[in-house]
Amino acid sequence: MPATIRLLGLGNEILGDDALGILIARQAEESFPPEEVEVVSSSESGLHLLDHVLDVERLIVVDTIQTRGAEPGTVYVVKEEDVPVPAGADSLHRIGLFDTLALARGLGLRTAEDVTVIAVEAADCLTVGGEMHPAVKAAVPRVMGAIGELVAAANPSA
Amino acid sequence: MPTETVKRRITIDPVTRLEGHGKIDIILDEKGQVDKAYFQVPELRGFEKFAQGRQVEDMPQITSRICGVCPTAHHMASTKALDAVYQVTPAPAGRKIRELVYSTFMAEDHTLHFYFLGGPDFVVGPGAPKAERNVLGVIGKVGVETGKAVISMRRKLRELVALAAGKPVHPVFGLPGGVARRLTEEDRGKFRAVAAEAVDFAGFTLDIFHKVVLENSDYVDLIKSDIFTHRTHYMGMVDEKNRVNFYDGMLRVVTPDGAERAKFDPAKYLDYVGEHVEPWSYMKFCYLKQQGWKGFTEGADSGIYSVAPLARLNVADGMATPLAQAAYEEYVKVLGKPVHHTLANHWARVIELLYAAERMKELAEDPEVADPNVRTIPTATPAEGVGVVEAPRGTLFHHYKTDDRGIVEKANLIVATQNNAARISMSVEKAAKGLVSAARCDDGVLNMVEMAFRAYDPCLGCATHSLPGSMPLLVTVRDRRGETVSTLRRDSDGAVSRG
Repeated sequence: MPATIRLLGLGNEILGDDALGILIARQAEESFPPEEVEVVSSSESGLHLLDHVLDVERLIVVDTIQTRGAEPGTVYVVKEEDVPVPAGADSLHRIGLFDTLALARGLGLRTAEDVTVIAVEAADCLTVGGEMHPAVKAAVPRVMGAIGELVAAANPSA
Repeated sequence: MPTETVKRRITIDPVTRLEGHGKIDIILDEKGQVDKAYFQVPELRGFEKFAQGRQVEDMPQITSRICGVCPTAHHMASTKALDAVYQVTPAPAGRKIRELVYSTFMAEDHTLHFYFLGGPDFVVGPGAPKAERNVLGVIGKVGVETGKAVISMRRKLRELVALAAGKPVHPVFGLPGGVARRLTEEDRGKFRAVAAEAVDFAGFTLDIFHKVVLENSDYVDLIKSDIFTHRTHYMGMVDEKNRVNFYDGMLRVVTPDGAERAKFDPAKYLDYVGEHVEPWSYMKFCYLKQQGWKGFTEGADSGIYSVAPLARLNVADGMATPLAQAAYEEYVKVLGKPVHHTLANHWARVIELLYAAERMKELAEDPEVADPNVRTIPTATPAEGVGVVEAPRGTLFHHYKTDDRGIVEKANLIVATQNNAARISMSVEKAAKGLVSAARCDDGVLNMVEMAFRAYDPCLGCATHSLPGSMPLLVTVRDRRGETVSTLRRDSDGAVSRG
């Protein structure tokens, strides 16, 4: 049986705090058996993520975020339905995960039904070769904890 | 509400998006008319420092991670720079495989752009409600079956790139002197099959463009309207017969009248391209050194030039493949030449999609791409090299200088959007001046301003992710001290509310 949960770590190892999603994917691979959680990671964005949202029931996405309304390292856990529906994009760079999900469903493709986003407030995602902010790094155990809770909730008998 | 005597600033700032996204500042004068408009992008920092001290052979892997949208373009420009650093001519099969993979990548990228980025403006329509101007609106207009065909085409093209080159962001592909892996006859068969399908698909896409855009006089008028028109220089890569080429050739520059201004070996780019800095932007604005920086002005005396599909078709005498050539001839018949209408980028892109598919087919039909000799091993001492390709969004330069052990001492990148930055700024300002005033800054007007830069598909700080996708736009009206006077919020459902 393939796993019913997929963890998608988004990020870029060479861009400071943006490394977070990749780091989490690496840890998750060690923490969860593959028959329970399928772990994938990507440095790509937008529609290039299409394949990663298909053919699975539950999707957990981990990425950094910059709302500038919170301290670096703040962890947000939001369900897809709590994020406003996308309103079109100005650039392929601005077609995001949610547009991709909407597209996949609009086309009747087998798309993850339950999508949770775990986002961590970042300080800097633009410095090539930059170090991760200590507060963002310190959020890693909390993110892993949040993933653990989501996995446990999805498998109540386990 | 502010009084008419206060100088005001309107900012179109997607504040809740990740930092790598653009921002438009519109400054109003005392009369409530647009005084200035700025297009700003945050840029990646520290690339040169990061590159210094690394083995130059690692650069194609490192730079392919710079952009989450066009890793293959960076990988290819970087690989070509390595050929130059090691003074090696790639093995013929290696060179052909590179161009085959690159054509496949261009076909994929142009497909996505046309349907899902340009589509909301043209297929759905610029006047459509904001809530429909998105990918779902496009599907609603072209139908689910066509939408599925687009996704299926994209997947097949992408699988071929992965077959030959590995994962886009972790490619195992370009090496100085060739490529890492040969293609088998079986691989070549796969490329041939998908290429034939891609040519049909591109023709089908051109038909859609005809039906939806060209047969609608409102769209044609919009494309030709003065608000979206600039008379600048153009730059792009051409083959030995001055036809469009994405992978290799000379860089050609034409004047606003279409006359050849320069044609040069890309390695000499520093003799032709200068970079200007403005205090209000991180971005460097490229200009032609021969003409010099004359500010944000149009015309033959200004050094401002443009790249990307429109520019590529302007600098070329034609297309190298038959169906693309026929489409090009029709385009020139309708719009003339050179074409100065920014929105014609969308049409030019479809013609290039057809060329990419046809070129892919030509190369896949060449038995030499399955030749096992895919690499010439370099023997020279590494030194310095420039690699240039036409990325989907325009000319991309990679330039490295190494010590004699191949350790990078200096690295320079010019990405497509830097080449286009000055013209994008002018486009935004012109659209704002033509459309916006204190009395008129509603959703429809803001969309038209955004359309002015959407046609370029600017790279807004490569490698940043789009989470949380699209969020509301916030337009802030500020007084001259920067204090907020009122706000205009455009929500994702298209509703506009004032605060």
